[in-house]
Amino acid sequence: MGAAPQQASPDQRVAEFRKIFSRAESEVARVIVGHREVVRKMLTALFCGGHILIEGVPGLGKTLMVKAAAETLGLTFKRIQFTPDLMPSDIIGTQVLTEADGHRDFQFKPGPIFAHMVLGDEINRATPKTQSAVLEAMEEHQVTVFGTTYVLDPPYIVLATENPIELEGTYPLPEAQMDRFIFKVVMGSPKPDELREILNRTTGTAQARIQPLFEASRAPRAIEDLKALVREVMVAEPLERYIISVIGGCTPGGPGAIPEVSQYLRFGPSPRGAQALILCAKVNALLAGRVSVSYDDIEDAIVPCLRHRLLLNFQAEAESVSSESILEQVVKRLRKPRT
Amino acid sequence: MDNPVETIGIASARIARLAAIRAMLCAVAPALTAIALGALLTQIGDVTWTRLGYRLAPERGTVLSLALIGAGIVVLAAGLVMAFRSYRRANDFVAAAAELDERLDCDQEIVTFATLADPSAPESIRARRTPLFPILWRRAIALFGGLDVRREFRLEVGEPLKRSSIFAGVVALAMVLATLGLVRAPTPENTEAAKLRAIAEEIARTSASSDDSALADKIRQAADAIENSKLPPEEKKKRIEEAMREADKAAQKRNNSQSGKNQGTGKSNAQNGNGKSQGQGNSAGAGSGEGKSGTGAGQNPGGGSSGSGKSATGKNSGKNEGGKGSAKNDKNDQNKGDQSNLELHDELAKAEAQVETANAKNPGPDNQPGEDKNQGGASQPADKTNQKGGSQPDPNRPGNIPKPGANGDRNIPAAGGKPKNNKDMGSNLGDTHLGEMPTSTNAQRFLKPGEKGATVDIRDARYVMFRLPGAPSSGSGGKTVLDTDRPTATTGYVNAPLAPTSDDAAPDERQLVPPRYRDMIH
Repeated sequence: MGAAPQQASPDQRVAEFRKIFSRAESEVARVIVGHREVVRKMLTALFCGGHILIEGVPGLGKTLMVKAAAETLGLTFKRIQFTPDLMPSDIIGTQVLTEADGHRDFQFKPGPIFAHMVLGDEINRATPKTQSAVLEAMEEHQVTVFGTTYVLDPPYIVLATENPIELEGTYPLPEAQMDRFIFKVVMGSPKPDELREILNRTTGTAQARIQPLFEASRAPRAIEDLKALVREVMVAEPLERYIISVIGGCTPGGPGAIPEVSQYLRFGPSPRGAQALILCAKVNALLAGRVSVSYDDIEDAIVPCLRHRLLLNFQAEAESVSSESILEQVVKRLRKPRT
Repeated sequence: MDNPVETIGIASARIARLAAIRAMLCAVAPALTAIALGALLTQIGDVTWTRLGYRLAPERGTVLSLALIGAGIVVLAAGLVMAFRSYRRANDFVAAAAELDERLDCDQEIVTFATLADPSAPESIRARRTPLFPILWRRAIALFGGLDVRREFRLEVGEPLKRSSIFAGVVALAMVLATLGLVRAPTPENTEAAKLRAIAEEIARTSASSDDSALADKIRQAADAIENSKLPPEEKKKRIEEAMREADKAAQKRNNSQSGKNQGTGKSNAQNGNGKSQGQGNSAGAGSGEGKSGTGAGQNPGGGSSGSGKSATGKNSGKNEGGKGSAKNDKNDQNKGDQSNLELHDELAKAEAQVETANAKNPGPDNQPGEDKNQGGASQPADKTNQKGGSQPDPNRPGNIPKPGANGDRNIPAAGGKPKNNKDMGSNLGDTHLGEMPTSTNAQRFLKPGEKGATVDIRDARYVMFRLPGAPSSGSGGKTVLDTDRPTATTGYVNAPLAPTSDDAAPDERQLVPPRYRDMIH
């Protein structure tokens, strides 16, 4: 499975992308019931080259989902359970004294962050020091230990989860760190029929088997080619202006900011938000069989890309105003501007 | 296979042209409305005058008309500028692609294509083309398949005209407001001038002869003179008299052409007339017009009631003396020309009287006492015999003394104008100003000195009408000469009591006597 995309024609590459994406969704769906939107966003984030923050209570199958996705794509997977006593070296690795041929030497032992897909479970339970250790890895795709920099093999994606309950003793992610996640998706409880399907699958003797789409040796390369294809999708200038207007509309005091934004927000999205919008819209366009972005592609991406980048003020929290509702207002006001 | 770049270019030009036309259309309606209103302001003024009784002063009307036409031209020019700007703004390659995209529902594929394929775009934009661009090109070709730009971008005039009509309505409203601010109630001079113009129009319209055309011109000149406040009264009167002479000339010619009928009429006059037709009553008197016959059986078509002393006058007098009704009058075949001629005479006489009254009321520098000959003599009572002149029945005859409430006794004629036109035109001059004489009902008249008869009780009278002596007729030719000796009001008017104020009389029943007649009440 998986042709050499760079030698294929553009049409074949687009078709290949859609096929792989669709099959990956199907394979994950073998073990994960429901949550199709979360799965889609996870794969989208992977092909965008970003990271994803998943918010959900324990027991919804977050770990299983990531593990299934990694197995489907033939990528390596590591899981880190963040706890208050977790140290940075526990994540990125450390130097270990080894002896070979009569010589003692420090040898770097990579931590669990060295994988293609890293699940950081309950990331808000770790101390800021430990959380920040992940930042360099997420942004630079490299870690530095004792002055030595180690590059993380692409593709690299961090999937962090947050537990919205039991917030005592937690360290909410700082805004700077939140901004590094391309998406924040909320994983809700399964619906009754989904729950019944979950019970059927997990309490019986039958075990779902995932069929990998790529061989492990060539999976990273194939994924990187697909990521390159995403970046080849074209965006018209009017749509770029639309994205800019959305970002400006969500920024208090920004150009075109709506009254709700000024009333309820302390800070708006950074330029990373615009980058996330375009990348996500490009993936949406490819999935729709197009090589150019449309307004619908952008609007689809606005809430997951920007919801965690809006910093609500006290009034918003007091009035239970959510960032999603503000974004919906912004989209309604700025919907499909014309040239 | 069409080049999609060319297709977008064609669409861009088409959209630009349509935008220019729409912008122009927005300006056309208000501009045309303003120009049309400006050009037709005179006609609108005439309608206002006819229907509502208000008039727009000519000089103001001219200013307003020019302002409207100017505004219309300015709006047209602004429309042209807007159209040019719209054309330039709409002639945009990417914008046209976006419009096409929207119409063809292409999910912004065309606009993306146009962004990267815009011939006028800098090289840096083209450099953003990716290996996927050929797919976009093919998609654009496929999307444009079967596209007819002319059919896709039609000229829809509905919306621009709708918007334009709002502006046109604003222009019309502004014109109405401006007109309301400029119109005023007509003066008696305006009223007379308008009537004379109407008669002139009627004459010019119904007759093609050069004499009638000359007459119409004279009448118009007279009308202009009446309204012209800069002209001295003598000049006005001169113009009016010229018009009168012209009218007499035209009437004489007409009479000659109808000699057969006139012969019969003359005979009738000889038999029935009593010579009172030679009286010098001025037709400006209200009683000299189309008086109804004694029996009320028929209405004098106008031939016999002219105050200018024509033969027909005698005819009417004789008939009324005998109380035999109007049978002979019916036989008198007066055509419309005669009718209008009589009306014309009547109106000209009224106009002349109006000029004199105005002159008496507002003596200008030229009308200082001692300089105006007419003023000096006018206050003297005229020859009493003149009062018998004209077409009125001889009041000395017992049979002609009218009885209140009796229809058959309505020998005091109605106004010279048409009764249906005698509605109050909204002026504040009361019901008795010129041209608005009411129809006589329950009429009584004063007794002449030495006359015996029932006592006149005018306590509850609504109107008092006066018959003034008309211009003397010089022979049977109908030539009119100015009666310089006729009585003319000279004093300023006061409320002359017609009768002692009665306690039980409602205040609004008291009627003012027109100032120009008050000197005549003894």
